[in-house]
Amino acid sequence: MSETKSDPNKVWPTGLTEAESEEIHRHVIQGTQIFGFIAVLAHLFAYIYSPWLK
Amino acid sequence: MIYGKLWCVVKPSTGIPLFLSAVAVSSFLVHYMLLTHTSWLPKYYEGKATPKTAAVEQVDKVAATPTDTIVAAAKQ
Repeated sequence: MSETKSDPNKVWPTGLTEAESEEIHRHVIQGTQIFGFIAVLAHLFAYIYSPWLK
Repeated sequence: MIYGKLWCVVKPSTGIPLFLSAVAVSSFLVHYMLLTHTSWLPKYYEGKATPKTAAVEQVDKVAATPTDTIVAAAKQ
């Protein structure tokens, strides 16, 4: 039988453990969310103040 | 977290610049294509009212005046 749970202390080829990888990923996701929020705001202003779709 | 283990197999020093570059290139291309394929975006970036808009406003003013005058005259 193979193990279903991976070793949390295993260092992967990129030099990171699973916990470190997940920590980086949290920051990537948060950065994407902030960028997305600013982009939505910018498009809202563009829609209001430009002839876009009018 | 979904895909949280991505950075176990993709080096962050490669994957993050690649991701950010993809976002930058694709958003630049979308806006560049809008600039070159629409009539209103170059005019908007030019920063002044279009001649068409100005002409329509002028026509509206001219058209509005007699109507107002007629309504005002009818009330008297």
